Amino acid sequence: MKRKFNLVENIDSSGQGNKFEGCSSETDKKYKMFKNTIWYNLLLNAEKTCLKDEQIKKIHYKFDDGKEMVEEYNVDTKVLLRRTWKMKGKLGGEGKWSVELGDPIPETTTNADSIAIIESKDQPVLLKRNTRVNIEWRIRNLPYPIETYSIKAQNDDKSIVISTSNKKYYKKLDVPELVRLGLPIEQMNIDATHKYNTLIITYKKPQELLNMDKEWFEELNKIKPIKDIPNECKTQ
Amino acid sequence: MASLAAAQVQEVRSITRIERIGAHSHIRGLGLDDALEPRAISQGMVGQKMARKAAGVILQMIREGKIAGRAVLLAGQPGTGKTAIAMGLAQALGPDTPFTSMAGSEIYSLEMSKTEALTQSIRKSIGIRIKEESEIIEGEVVEVMVERSAGGGGARSGRLTLKTTDMETNYDMGTKMIDSLLKEKVQAGDVITIDKATGKINKLGRSFARARDYDATGQQARFVQCPEGELQKRKEVVHTVTLHEVDVINSRTHGFLALFSGDTGEIKSEIREQINSKVAEWREEGKAEMIPGVLFIDEAHMLDIECFSFLNRALESETAPVVIMATNRGITRIRGTNYKSPHGIPLDLLDRMIIVPTTPYSHQELREILNIRCEEEDCQMSADALTVLTRVATETSLRYAIQLITTASLVAKRRKASEVSMEDVKKVYSLFLDEHRSEQFLKEYQDEFMFNDGGGDAAQMMEVAQ
Repeated sequence: MKRKFNLVENIDSSGQGNKFEGCSSETDKKYKMFKNTIWYNLLLNAEKTCLKDEQIKKIHYKFDDGKEMVEEYNVDTKVLLRRTWKMKGKLGGEGKWSVELGDPIPETTTNADSIAIIESKDQPVLLKRNTRVNIEWRIRNLPYPIETYSIKAQNDDKSIVISTSNKKYYKKLDVPELVRLGLPIEQMNIDATHKYNTLIITYKKPQELLNMDKEWFEELNKIKPIKDIPNECKTQ
Repeated sequence: MASLAAAQVQEVRSITRIERIGAHSHIRGLGLDDALEPRAISQGMVGQKMARKAAGVILQMIREGKIAGRAVLLAGQPGTGKTAIAMGLAQALGPDTPFTSMAGSEIYSLEMSKTEALTQSIRKSIGIRIKEESEIIEGEVVEVMVERSAGGGGARSGRLTLKTTDMETNYDMGTKMIDSLLKEKVQAGDVITIDKATGKINKLGRSFARARDYDATGQQARFVQCPEGELQKRKEVVHTVTLHEVDVINSRTHGFLALFSGDTGEIKSEIREQINSKVAEWREEGKAEMIPGVLFIDEAHMLDIECFSFLNRALESETAPVVIMATNRGITRIRGTNYKSPHGIPLDLLDRMIIVPTTPYSHQELREILNIRCEEEDCQMSADALTVLTRVATETSLRYAIQLITTASLVAKRRKASEVSMEDVKKVYSLFLDEHRSEQFLKEYQDEFMFNDGGGDAAQMMEVAQ
């Protein structure tokens, strides 16, 4: 509650600041925007641990409300490869990791008895990837031609909606990256191609998001990685 | 392939149509009116008015949920409807109130200590209603397909196709899921929700698009719209879980999977304490509601002195369910001791119980029960056959008379009669001995049975032989 209050103040003061300065360049104004979001401050205030494993840097965040998040960055390309959240059930027990971005974590227990119900192997599989300039969704096992799909930005529930004219597939894609920065979803930034039974939807990252990605990667460099990695972690 | 698939579906349907008839499947409630007064014949219940009235009072007590840890003893001769009253109570409470039924002897055959088994069943009888967000699959069933693998061994694979107005998806199902789908009698055209984590199936109704398939719909079919949008959604649902289930989730890393495989083992008492304090916290915050249920222990005289003393203590806990026990014993030895006590239950526990007696049925009541069973077992019986059967019931036992219903109807079918006549009943009466006649027979011909030469010296003879 307290933080929120501060935020409002910040926004106000920055707005005023701009008015007074007037001369500050357009990019500079945008550059500062993301710093006022709740999201950015959450990241800043979170308890962070860094693990470096060859080309991959893993950051573990522990937030004030007990939530946990792990990000994996490619050190060379400075691109976020995976972001996962720990999902804790209300009834307790070990939570599962749910992947927000990147390749899914392969399940260790896939025996037929323990699974109640699961999508068949030949059903569409959604994968979300992050590249330097785009957010990308790949939906495999979708054999229908490109004309079948209609992909629309829907700002009232902050999602991109994929529907098919043959009523075989329908999906709402959340774009938490934009929501966290309070940015609208723009139809013009959406692009889609269909190749090898795969529908690829790309969303061009707006300048604010690019700036934030860059700035945050720099910020993460401040965290010293833990030197002695236990053996079990190394193998993964 | 397609024709094979069609055949498979047909097979599944025919299996789901069959309802198996159990000893108490005719019971649908306690047969009480709104003022909890027993009706003469209602919901499969006949007679036993005082006991049913008492059960009604207990029902009210459970519904109000204020009083924890009361014990009720249903005592009466064999075949006087003790189990029936307990089943009726379970039906009257509805599916949301946990009702755990166990036989007293069950605790001896589990891979855990007796007290652990009792604790687990006590905790299975306490429900918690809690709101939780979970992955729900909601859609209209397009096709259910269950295939038995050619290799044998009973391994099955199942496929379920669900759709909404916007999409369609195929799912693979595990064995447990197939069983519960078959149990719920899910057919094409049903609108269902499946909780992805727990595998719980909820039938919402039939799709409007199928409103014209009269043959596939029952009388109380409810029609609903086919859902729209995505099949899988995250939804806040109100779950009713039992304390035992919460214990299991927290005791193992596998969580729910352990519940599915049934392999829960013993649960540490620290975990239980943790859960108890957590639940108390939820209740205080108004996040959860506790639903005390019923633990029914049939053949309670089979419990031993350790169990009784454990129950004494367990009943005093705040989170104890209402425990209903049934026994058909009179004054008998308490198992595990040399002391005798009424109903084979120690006096200190008896003192904590309210005892509901059941009395033998009258002639007229027996006739009514037999009539109900005839209907339940789908058997046409002539009036005089029923009279004979009632007399059999009075002279031997009600259970024996009930055994004769289906056997007699099979005899009647063989001579291609539509109705069971007196002769059919007489025939099966001569074919199958009741317990009394069997005893008589044994007494008469005892000498000709094995190891029985020389009246009662069998044990001695064996020893000599060795």
